[in-house]
Amino acid sequence: MTATKAWMAGCGLLAGLVVLALSVGTQGFGWGDGGSLVLLRSPRVLAALAAGLALGIGGAAQQGVFRNPLADPGLTGVFGGALFGIAVLLGIFPEAAWHRAWFIPGAAFAGALGTSALLTLIGSGGSASRLLLTGLGLNAFTAAGTLVIASRSGESRELLTNGAYGDWLGMATLELTWLPVLLCAVAALLLLPLARSLDLLSFGEDAARGFGCDVGSARLQAVLLTALAAAAATCLVGQVAFIGLLAPHLARAWVGPRHAHVLPLSALLGAALLLGADTLGRGLWPQAPLSAAAVTAVIGAPLFIWIARGRHE
Amino acid sequence: MSDALVSAIGLGVEISGRRIIDGVSLSAMGGQTVAVVGPNGAGKTTLLRALAGLLPCDGELKVGGQDPRVIDAASCALNRAYCAQKPVSAWDYRVRDLGEIVGDPVSFASWLEKLRLGDCADRRLSGLSGGEQKAAHLAMTFAALAEPFGAVLLLDEPAAALDLGRQEAVREAIAGFAQSGAACVVATHDLSFAKRCDLVVMISEGRLIAAGEPAATLTPAVISEVWGESASWGR
Repeated sequence: MTATKAWMAGCGLLAGLVVLALSVGTQGFGWGDGGSLVLLRSPRVLAALAAGLALGIGGAAQQGVFRNPLADPGLTGVFGGALFGIAVLLGIFPEAAWHRAWFIPGAAFAGALGTSALLTLIGSGGSASRLLLTGLGLNAFTAAGTLVIASRSGESRELLTNGAYGDWLGMATLELTWLPVLLCAVAALLLLPLARSLDLLSFGEDAARGFGCDVGSARLQAVLLTALAAAAATCLVGQVAFIGLLAPHLARAWVGPRHAHVLPLSALLGAALLLGADTLGRGLWPQAPLSAAAVTAVIGAPLFIWIARGRHE
Repeated sequence: MSDALVSAIGLGVEISGRRIIDGVSLSAMGGQTVAVVGPNGAGKTTLLRALAGLLPCDGELKVGGQDPRVIDAASCALNRAYCAQKPVSAWDYRVRDLGEIVGDPVSFASWLEKLRLGDCADRRLSGLSGGEQKAAHLAMTFAALAEPFGAVLLLDEPAAALDLGRQEAVREAIAGFAQSGAACVVATHDLSFAKRCDLVVMISEGRLIAAGEPAATLTPAVISEVWGESASWGR
């Protein structure tokens, strides 16, 4: 598929999903009197779009920088780190956490950055298995830490548990979401200029440096911005795996592997996937909606196994 | 020595406590092609990586008039191109994508034609043979040098895995760069190619064994000493 056709198809899909997402809710199907339900659902739709966009492009950047098609901020522990950062803040300063709009995104970024640094130090430079095993360890550690803090913190227990299940979209309001939405957009915009560096890195460090790529700087920028994207997305939706895995793979299947096309298309498809998953979870079970994370896991897990199997063979 | 585009004096590289290159000196002027030869494990690839500024090393080093260890990668790549021995891409690009990535699709397409890969532009890298992949990467490397005059070309086993036609095309390309004023340093096992170069630098176990014109360097006695009694010209 040409890039133009892929963009048209992606934009059409996303536009259709936005209309559908604004029409579906616990009140049933429709926009309400004078579009009242649309206004009510808009923050949730905006949050899902921004988080999906950040996850899609973050996954593509992480796969590019680690030269690994199985990398995904959810599977490599960056999401877990972001939620752990929020849990630490809520556990230590449960009331102060809500005093400044940037406290929670800041804590999420610190956590995501911590796990990203560990992942880069321990997991990169080796095989795909080493990266994923490091991510597995980081995920286990941060999940355990989050659960320990949640179990000791009466006020934040439900909030953190919902975050671990990727079920925060339901509490989206414009007041809570504007900063993370802005951060998602900033991270995505700043990742786009790294496309050529990620292409050159795909040939290995020597070749990339040989062609004039400042490998250290490109890698640092990609890791920092992916952590920012994952942190901002975590603030909006909680932990969601597989969007960062699925979106780049779909993008590559549509337009080929050049990052100039893969990065923006992954953002678009990530937004469509997360919004679609959230809408599906709400639309099929309006009285007891399924979280977006659960829906993406149902779709993403078999695909992950398929990709891993294909890679192994 | 001051006019040399590549000047290395007493170059040394240590990796994990082991001295891989020890006190190697090498010089190449514009218009010259220098063959770096030696048996497997001699340190040819390490020497080329050090010259390209890709490895920390000690000793004096100037490539294109600058020390590649202290300038940034982008400045370094302005007049120096390097092609690794076995470049492998993590993603399955189409061949024509490589021209976009290197930033000069027109020059890349022209090099594809010269290396007899013109009809492969729409194929994916995974569909090419090892030799064709290497030729595509060489086209990328050649296309990266906008101006051959005063440039430095560092090629690690450029003709390995290529068929005879492409080997000759690569040799012609190297000769063309040299005629245009570039200095070419080529690591190779192909002694018949080395014989046609301006200078030969022979290393073994990271040390300089001989350096000079091919006739003075590639003597049967030196070849026997470095590769063993059974070694001969081969081709």
